[in-house]
Amino acid sequence: MTPISVVDIDYVALAPVIIVLVAAVIGVLLEAFLPEAARRSGQLLLTGSAVALAFLTVLIVAASRPFGPIAGGSLMLDGPGLFLQGLILLTSGTAILIMADRRVDPGGDAFAGRVSTLPGGEEEREVSRRGLMQTEVWPLMLFCIGGLLLFVTSNDLLTLFIALEILSLPLYLLVGMARRRRLLSQEAALKYFLMGALASAILLFGSALAYAYAGTIEFAGIAERISERTTANTLVIAAVALILVGLLFKIGAVPFGQWVPDVYQGAPTPVTGFMAAAVKVAAVGALLRVLYVPFGGMRWEWEPVLWIVASLTMLIGSLVALAQSDIKRMLAYSSIANAGFILIGVAAADQVGLSSVLFYLLAYSVATLAAFGIVTMVRVPTGEATSLEQWAGIGRRSPLLATAFSLILLSFAGIPLTAGFIAKFGVFTAAITAGALPLVIVGIVASAIAAALYVRIIVRMYFTDPVSASAGVASPSPLTVAGVGLGVALTVILGVFPQPVLNLVEQTSIFVR
Amino acid sequence: MNAAWPIVALGGLAFAFAAFSVVIAAFTGPKRFNRAKVAAYECGIEPTPQPIGGGRFPVKYYLVAMMFIIFDIELVFLYPWAVAFDQLGLFGFIAMMLFLINLIVPYLYEWRRGGLEWD
Amino acid sequence: MAASLPTAIPWTVLIVLVPLIGAVAVTFLRAPAQQRAARWTAFGASLLALLLAVILAIGFTPAGPGVQYLVSSPWLPALGVSLSFGVTGISLVMVLLTTVLAATVIAAEWRMPVPRGTTQGYLALLLSLEALVLGVFLARDLFVFYVLFEAMLLPVYFLIGRFGGSRRGFAAVKFLVYSLVGGLAMLAALIGLFVESKAAFGRPTFDMTALADMTMSTPTERLIWWGFFLAFAIKAPLVPLHTWLPDAAAESTPGTATMLIGVLDKVGVFGMLVILLPLLPNASVFYAPMVVVLALIGILYGAVLAIGQGDMKRLFAYTSVSHFGFIVLGVFVFTGIAMNGAIFYMVAHGLSTAGLFLVAGYLMSQRGSASISAYGGVSQRAPLLAGLFLVMALSTLALPGLAGFIGEFLVLLGAFQRSVVVGVIATTGIVLAAIYMLWLVQRVMVGPLQPGVDRVREVTVWQAAAVGPLVALLLLLGFFPQTVLSLVEPAAQTTLAGVPAGTAATPSLFGLTGGEQP
Repeated sequence: MTPISVVDIDYVALAPVIIVLVAAVIGVLLEAFLPEAARRSGQLLLTGSAVALAFLTVLIVAASRPFGPIAGGSLMLDGPGLFLQGLILLTSGTAILIMADRRVDPGGDAFAGRVSTLPGGEEEREVSRRGLMQTEVWPLMLFCIGGLLLFVTSNDLLTLFIALEILSLPLYLLVGMARRRRLLSQEAALKYFLMGALASAILLFGSALAYAYAGTIEFAGIAERISERTTANTLVIAAVALILVGLLFKIGAVPFGQWVPDVYQGAPTPVTGFMAAAVKVAAVGALLRVLYVPFGGMRWEWEPVLWIVASLTMLIGSLVALAQSDIKRMLAYSSIANAGFILIGVAAADQVGLSSVLFYLLAYSVATLAAFGIVTMVRVPTGEATSLEQWAGIGRRSPLLATAFSLILLSFAGIPLTAGFIAKFGVFTAAITAGALPLVIVGIVASAIAAALYVRIIVRMYFTDPVSASAGVASPSPLTVAGVGLGVALTVILGVFPQPVLNLVEQTSIFVR
Repeated sequence: MNAAWPIVALGGLAFAFAAFSVVIAAFTGPKRFNRAKVAAYECGIEPTPQPIGGGRFPVKYYLVAMMFIIFDIELVFLYPWAVAFDQLGLFGFIAMMLFLINLIVPYLYEWRRGGLEWD
Repeated sequence: MAASLPTAIPWTVLIVLVPLIGAVAVTFLRAPAQQRAARWTAFGASLLALLLAVILAIGFTPAGPGVQYLVSSPWLPALGVSLSFGVTGISLVMVLLTTVLAATVIAAEWRMPVPRGTTQGYLALLLSLEALVLGVFLARDLFVFYVLFEAMLLPVYFLIGRFGGSRRGFAAVKFLVYSLVGGLAMLAALIGLFVESKAAFGRPTFDMTALADMTMSTPTERLIWWGFFLAFAIKAPLVPLHTWLPDAAAESTPGTATMLIGVLDKVGVFGMLVILLPLLPNASVFYAPMVVVLALIGILYGAVLAIGQGDMKRLFAYTSVSHFGFIVLGVFVFTGIAMNGAIFYMVAHGLSTAGLFLVAGYLMSQRGSASISAYGGVSQRAPLLAGLFLVMALSTLALPGLAGFIGEFLVLLGAFQRSVVVGVIATTGIVLAAIYMLWLVQRVMVGPLQPGVDRVREVTVWQAAAVGPLVALLLLLGFFPQTVLSLVEPAAQTTLAGVPAGTAATPSLFGLTGGEQP
């Protein structure tokens, strides 16, 4: 018998993923052996240093390793992948800062003390009396981040699916762990799980069809088979359609994003921020790679679909957001609308489009994290003040917070001198260059609708007199301040001096096939 | 086609045996029904604790059952490794050890956090 | 007026920075005890800006090259954007107007019409608005123009929303939503130009001078024209996109209203002059009949509505709609005289409207009502106030000898050169202006003393000194219009030279013309 050839693995290039996943496993061990009192600090130290180390490693890898397939072709080391990995680690790090805060909520952090206790029961009261905290959150986060890192670099359909599962399963749990309004949170988790499982199955089915067509699951091989074809093939079209559905589900595009408002509302707010930022970044990254690399040759087939999905996503996202009275649901619909703008850049399907999407992801994810971070701070005695009415007059009580939130909303609205403007300008320009003028017109109409929405909130904060049920602003710990501050600072810096980052995304925006 | 004959034969034999057992039991076996026999997962022992309201099981049952399945299923992966141990060599050995470590970690977690205690 | 300034100093940037630094400085003087210091700082900054504007005017050579004192440094090379600021004849006039009005507003509202403790915020917003508007007027890069054009909404939004009347929130949102829609249309056009310039020059550029030389296919040019036009027509405001103005003006403080109508709205017309005509000449000619018709509707509609208003601030807002009709008409009839007149008219209108708002604002703060029916016989109590008001009103209705007359006369002259029909319709606007203005003066200033008006006191010396320069300027420009016209004329000629008016593309409306073709 001949020996089976051993897969050649570039461990340095793989280091960011390894670091995060090993840290996750160590985190589980810490849970097992550390005494209750030391767990939180131990987990925080581990999680923080793992993400920071992974981020540094991404920089080192970007500087030193040659681009190309790694881990036997299952993963691809290239510019967009590394950029997205860096971005995921950056946003995850920020999310971790906000998650770690236990000062804004007098009961502890944003998560239930013991998730297994019955909501409203005696046991729950006992847990909160003792001030317990569910520290399993941190290993779960690390597993999820590891999945995200794999997701954006996966180079075959199977790795793509596995990465999707690694990132999804911890998320399903994290969504259901909110300290306040626990039933809502658990319902959100169940919804997300059921719908997510369905979407995963659809993605897997699409992958199977793609394998049936191409005889390989590797992206390069599929691309080759597609380039050889002379006529349209139902099998491969069905495969692309199903894979698209699976990925658009994670992105939250209309009509596959029906879960977004419920889940974003129910999840603990820092987790919502993490999902809206890091998970969306990864999902868009995976979509980009799948559409550009294996199915790049079918551009004419998938482009019209993306046009329709992007238009619907932008319009419905902004319109429905206008009707919301809950700040988290509003931000959820706004994130749907933003997904639509991102898809404009994806639909441009060239290098300019790719770089514009990368920039948009950066601008959007830092702003959205900061937005949810701010939501955690605005509170009434029973928890976060999620009703928009309670935000009346926040601008007078806490000018700094209101200014920060306004800046972020203005960035979402695409006002010049914020990162959101440069981002929108980028995707619109890319789309027009690629001949997608109608899409840009829809985008501008949607921007106008969305602008009205954001302006309304600024009005509520500054120009409305506080009502008796109005919220107060909790004084946050330095962690949250750092997280939100980073988001706001980047929003402004990227709006005024975007040139270095524009250069970076332009250089990195080539997929290695 | 020749290579497939033994498999087909084995399958046929297995099916024949199963069918024979079921049919012959219906004719020859004693027919004494009692409550324990019609209960779910019939094995002669009363389910403990007694399901409340007739149909519900304590969540601990599922917990243990799931733990068992998880650790049981993982064993399946050890068989192909054992068969191809020679060809896989050191790389395969390390990979399998990592796999086992990854299995042990949740086991330790479960043990330390009281997942294996019934009460 | 032709001494050249040392070019080592970036005059055009400096003039933008001064109010901006003033705004920042004012925000640092936050304590209630520092209110006085904040006022002086703000006033000093606005005076310094005015001084710089005058220096720039002295150093400007009207006969020289189109863009002078150009300062440029790359900002976003990837997009072909550079921070470039320079002054043309038209922008110089607008800069002078802006700095004069900003200083006047800060001086005239010395006793601030805002709640205690918010004075510093109010001043900072006014100064940052001044800085941004100056930036828009001086920008020579289209992208920078757009950025500042959008950014200047924010101070206005907060000025209306925080310091306005009872329905301020509504007015602020209405203003912002209108402006944002216009801004987004302009963004689309901007992206269009970006793509076109990339195709034409091989690399993108937003330099206005370079873009003027670019030719585009007819459909593209028309599409892009619409984007810019919507933005400018909303800002100007042109009927039927004017409905935000009466609300915004009625709900804001007199100072805000002055900056809004006197300066901010001029940006719309300024945009038409420096972007629509030079960059998109063919589309401008193609759509000129439509714009002229809208302008005529605006003249009549604004005037008729002004007659029917019972609220003074709303009345002024509608008169402005009418006047902006005149100004836009002057731009789009494409004759040299009319264009000079339109630019001159902008200055005159800015000065007189500022005067009206500030004097009326003072009056309203005394009486506590904006309703015209609450007044009567004010001149008995405050003759100086009534006199100032009368001068502003007379300039608004274009009495010869005051600045308003020159502008209106030149626009009408130019309009008649183009088309008698257009000229005749526009002239009726003057008649209506006389009605609404004189009737207003009659109802408010003369007649029997109404109850409550006896509370009205005479303007203070300080306020008279603040508004006085406006009167002086109106008289000066009324008798010596050449001071402004000489600055504007070469620039207007250059602008017109690029417009292929009177050629084959001339639409049928001009077929009615009885006058000579220029």
